[in-house]
Amino acid sequence: MANPGKNLGIHWRATTSRLLLAYGVFFVIWGTVLLGSIYWEARHYLENRTDTQLKQQIGYLRSLNEDHMLIALNDYVVLEQTNYNAWGLFDAHGKWIYGDVLQIPEGVTPDSVTLRLPTEKVVSGPFAPQTPTLSVIATRLDNGQILVLAHTTRIAARVGNIILHALWWGLSFTLVPGLIGGLILNRAPRRRIRQIESATQPIMHGDLHRRLPVGERGDELDRLAAIVNDMLDQIERLMGEVKGVCDSIAHDLRTPLTRLRSQLYRVQQQMKEDDPHAVLIEQCVSDIDEVLARFRALLRISELEDRRRREGFVAADLGQTLQHVHELYAPLAEDQHLQFVLNVDPDLIVQADPDLLFEALGNLVSNAIKFTPSGGRVTLSATRLDAAFAQIDVVDSGPGIPEAQRQVIWQRFYRGDAGRDVPGHGLGLSIVAAIAKLHDFELSLGEGQNGTSIGMRCRLQNPRLIA
Amino acid sequence: MPHILVIEDDEITAREIVLELAAHGISADRVHDGAQGFQRAQEPHYDAITLDLMLPGMDGLTLVKQLRERGITIPVLMISALGDVDERVRGLRAGGDDYLTKPFAPDEMAARIEVLLRRHRQEQPAQTKLRVADLELDIISRTARRGPRELTLLPTEYRLLEFLMRYPGQVLTRAMIFESVWGLRFDPGTNLIDVHIARLRRKVDNEGEPSLIRTMRGSGYRLG
Repeated sequence: MANPGKNLGIHWRATTSRLLLAYGVFFVIWGTVLLGSIYWEARHYLENRTDTQLKQQIGYLRSLNEDHMLIALNDYVVLEQTNYNAWGLFDAHGKWIYGDVLQIPEGVTPDSVTLRLPTEKVVSGPFAPQTPTLSVIATRLDNGQILVLAHTTRIAARVGNIILHALWWGLSFTLVPGLIGGLILNRAPRRRIRQIESATQPIMHGDLHRRLPVGERGDELDRLAAIVNDMLDQIERLMGEVKGVCDSIAHDLRTPLTRLRSQLYRVQQQMKEDDPHAVLIEQCVSDIDEVLARFRALLRISELEDRRRREGFVAADLGQTLQHVHELYAPLAEDQHLQFVLNVDPDLIVQADPDLLFEALGNLVSNAIKFTPSGGRVTLSATRLDAAFAQIDVVDSGPGIPEAQRQVIWQRFYRGDAGRDVPGHGLGLSIVAAIAKLHDFELSLGEGQNGTSIGMRCRLQNPRLIA
Repeated sequence: MPHILVIEDDEITAREIVLELAAHGISADRVHDGAQGFQRAQEPHYDAITLDLMLPGMDGLTLVKQLRERGITIPVLMISALGDVDERVRGLRAGGDDYLTKPFAPDEMAARIEVLLRRHRQEQPAQTKLRVADLELDIISRTARRGPRELTLLPTEYRLLEFLMRYPGQVLTRAMIFESVWGLRFDPGTNLIDVHIARLRRKVDNEGEPSLIRTMRGSGYRLG
């Protein structure tokens, strides 16, 4: 959660957030449309009223004689302070005589409809009003002069402002608490998702006894968690059955096979060296040994799956372990005319069971040696990747593992096509996988066509900080 | 003739142990339960004990712990159905000398008993030189010679030869060799130990003579 962008992303992806946002947008549109139509209606009504008033006023002014009219015009301006008024008197040719309106605004014709014109086209100067438009009307007096009256649409504008404010405040009062409330509401499910997330970690790492937390509310998340838990029950039961069947077959067959072996062994001991059956008996004994080794390996995998073994972890030096593996297998490689190379970076310390690590690497190396034709090359190396990780690689120049088989090689009993004529029981890599899993080391299969490359990424102990 | 006490409650296993030991010229007495076993183990005429860990009366771990507390150093081979590494470590820590998992090959068991007996006998005088036929190993200078010929051995080869020479005339199984020389207890595949032995043979043996390190059918190797 250190990354704010990621955090935001999580916020945004949450169902509640999306719902809230969609609802917010809808609400804004709806509120704007509602208040917009109210505004439009009100404005229309007020403008109509202004126009009617103007018409009435200009009609009244027309009916006065000239002196009275000028007084009335001044009164008209002074009395209606709140709504700006201006007037202009022009002669028959449109030449200015009196008033703030200095010329007949363009488009205005006497005794016609009221026009709405931009303010600066009607009046200018320090007394000009702040409103953007004015309603303007003109009439021809009996003496031929033209009278122009201008009136602000300020009321309409003010009503418009009030409605706009209403819209603004209304949206603020509903949207802001709504969004905040939504985020708060959203936090609870997110916290629970996080709980579920952390509960699934050990399950994914193989601890099938764990379950997801189920609350008492019985909401969607609880129902989902309960479904997953039921599934996990079933999976655990099935896994247990499979493992149990496997183990008990191995376990139960071991005793009679051992007995069979010891009887054959006794027969062998009592035979004379030159007895023609001796070879046959020896073959039988070694076949039984093979089967017993297979069962041992199977039971060993089960044993390795017990995570309590982690309690025995100590600080192990990869260099030393690899050195020992190299020493042990070097004669085998030499016998097969293989070049066996060891490359180790210094000071690679990991938390591990050294014997198990040895076993895993021994398996990998022995496989590499087994499958590489003579004259080839096997490399065992440990490389520091960064401050926290190192990688062990076992690389050979053998036939490699075909793309299609790469997924299945870690499974129990799997043997590649190339290995059909090479002795072994196909459990070696499963043991490696079980050991790697126990250590949380990550196994990887190298890409490429030439040879096999198996890597094991190990977390280093007390990674040194790079100063 | 060595005399062994077999503490084992399972009838078939006990019979197998006694039979196999007899085949190796070792006589054995058998008791069924822990309490009785503890009594008999303190009698001075036994040379070694095979001890089942799951026993009625007194369990194997307690038995061996109490024996050691009383200063009785008789070698004990622990036999258990539990193959767990922890179990083995616990057994050895309690005072057991070796650990074998059921079901076991009887020859493996007998070979281990013989090694225990010999090791126990050797403990008194600290030897600085090991001799088998004309093969000689100097433990202090870590050198080996065959007759007049000095052998140049790698560290692993030296350790392997030393182990073989400590128990001459005795069958040593591949598992025992792997455990003692490399300190490891997994299945390295049969031919790995064979390859190491073959290399050692090439250095130790004189040309044209039969090998000093003999391969024992179905079980392991024997020096001399």
